[in-house]
Amino acid sequence: MRRGFLGIDVGSISTNVVFLDGNKNLLFESYARVGGNPIDSVKARLKELASLMREKEMEVGALCTTGSGRQLVGVLLGADVVKNEISAHARAAVELHPDVRTIIEIGGQDSKVIIIENGMVVDFAMNLVCAAGTGSFLDSQARRLDITIEELSRRSILSKHPTAIAARCTVFSESDMISKQQMGHAQEDIIMGLCHALARNFIGNVARGKQLCSPVLLQGGVSANLGILRAFENALGCKVIVPRHHMVMGAYGAALLAMETDIDKSRFRGADIWAHHIHTQSVNCEDCPNNCEIIEIIDTGEVVGRTGGRCGKW
Amino acid sequence: MKERLAIPNLGNYTIALAAMVDGMGAQPWWSTYTDDHAMALGIAAAPESVCLPFKAHLGHFIAADDAGVENAMMVNSVGACRLNYYRGMLEDILKDMGRKIRVFGLGFDGLKPPIFRYLDPPIIPLLRCVAVGLEKVKAIDTIETQTAYTRAREINTGETSLLMECCLRELTQIKTKKDVRLFHQDLSRRFASVAIDKSRSPLRIALIGEVSLLRDRQLNQNLEQILGHQGVETKNFFLLGGEIGNTFGISMGYKKQTAKQLALIAKPYLGCEVGGHARDSVAHTINCAKAGFDAMVHVCPAGCMPEVSIRPILQRVSQDLDIPILEMSFDEHTCSLGVATRVEAFLDILKSRRQRTKIRRFA
Repeated sequence: MRRGFLGIDVGSISTNVVFLDGNKNLLFESYARVGGNPIDSVKARLKELASLMREKEMEVGALCTTGSGRQLVGVLLGADVVKNEISAHARAAVELHPDVRTIIEIGGQDSKVIIIENGMVVDFAMNLVCAAGTGSFLDSQARRLDITIEELSRRSILSKHPTAIAARCTVFSESDMISKQQMGHAQEDIIMGLCHALARNFIGNVARGKQLCSPVLLQGGVSANLGILRAFENALGCKVIVPRHHMVMGAYGAALLAMETDIDKSRFRGADIWAHHIHTQSVNCEDCPNNCEIIEIIDTGEVVGRTGGRCGKW
Repeated sequence: MKERLAIPNLGNYTIALAAMVDGMGAQPWWSTYTDDHAMALGIAAAPESVCLPFKAHLGHFIAADDAGVENAMMVNSVGACRLNYYRGMLEDILKDMGRKIRVFGLGFDGLKPPIFRYLDPPIIPLLRCVAVGLEKVKAIDTIETQTAYTRAREINTGETSLLMECCLRELTQIKTKKDVRLFHQDLSRRFASVAIDKSRSPLRIALIGEVSLLRDRQLNQNLEQILGHQGVETKNFFLLGGEIGNTFGISMGYKKQTAKQLALIAKPYLGCEVGGHARDSVAHTINCAKAGFDAMVHVCPAGCMPEVSIRPILQRVSQDLDIPILEMSFDEHTCSLGVATRVEAFLDILKSRRQRTKIRRFA
């Protein structure tokens, strides 16, 4: 059996899976929307992966999870490494573009800027409570305009005269957008205006006070949006590169990190897990006044792991 | 039946404050952290844009009122911070809500602080209790520093935190100064019983920022423990012993540089007082950079005037002296996952920095 390396990025909007062979060749990549249930989503991806692994006669040598659901899925699958998404994204970017200086990563719920010097992360920033620069905002606007997110991307670049749209919080942007619609601006112009607003908001809020040097990489789910790409190039005044596996960079980075761990035997509980009946339940730990809520992960009637709690006991 | 007196949360130091209040002839009502329930009460009652510590104090006092506590006390800080007015604001908000609890200031307006005028404690027992309280402050300083050292090196994660809890519980029960002393002397033996890996050279990170956030683990989402469990030795710059020692000019075990000394250090970057401990934070950062700390974490309540105003200054210090600073802003919307992600990514940066300097040294 040959060893492969698995990276899983469980984000707020999508679950991404990347499977690499020992030579860093990408054998499997999948980007899929979570749809509110990260466990089922991971199971569905694993089902596809399991058949591929059987076909190629491979096993999982190491597993790394990342993204906001990294703890839960890490416990569920038996991850060898649980890594934050900032390090995972940076790892992937440096692999594909060793000279990268700035990474703009925009996901479903949060957006980050990562500053890199000589292949090492030296600084980063993440949006705080503001969602105006993230994918979920674009999602909701596409829904409001009654077009798909792919169509939003296609139509944005047709715009000749982008409308000026307030780049502050989503609420202001949205009301500004509605008024521009009612003033008779063309839909393409409004969409492109929105992209400009998002890019400006990102540079003004998330990347505030940071020097964004070229080469700049744009990755994360929103990087598929051509309007956003153009808006960033416009705002930064330089070329913005969208790397090859831009949609699954987090998972790709996680797989690379898994490969770099020096372990003999992975704790991975097997790709067949997709067939198991898995559910979670929450219990209150009453050992101290903190009264933490603990999530128990139950795999066919047996507790396989727990997450949560402040003291590290679980 | 003695009247009860709610005291503001100051992390574990509240244990010592409670001992002092005992001597005032009132029964203390206190906790070492603001619990979820009190927090929710405070958030609902306070103006939305006010800082998190204010909401915590307000919630704490509302919960006290619900429990039938008659009095509360609050510091009147001197300086340029809004905290100056917080006692008055707390009082007004509680009054508007129709709450019966009375809020006393600790500041001096006349010969005695108002709280002493009201309770009028006999002087000898008061002094005795203050002495016990001060002794407890010293012991807590030791517990905090010992915990930070041991937790970063412990072999079984969580052991030190449990020992700390256990020590604090015991300390709460101790009544006399002599017993506190004995307890204090025994601390180093107890912490030595935790199995540690002496060969480890953990990352050293200093915590600076606003006092309540540094000390109330509910407000800072248990930041110090999160760092400790990832093998980081933290230095928390709020040690009450040092503060009291400087304010009253007495020896309290842990020495802190005086405000004057710190002002001199901070002067190239910040020439005036901006309130709270903000100027001290700038000076501490400069000191830590020179003392070879790996990084600083600046905790700051969203909207805190002094701490927010030194942010750009800290950024400059960070560039000039090459010491990374993680800015953490806390309000009631801060989610623990965001804190964990930032901390983890920051630690990754620090580890790779260490590796690079090592390579440079051998090259």
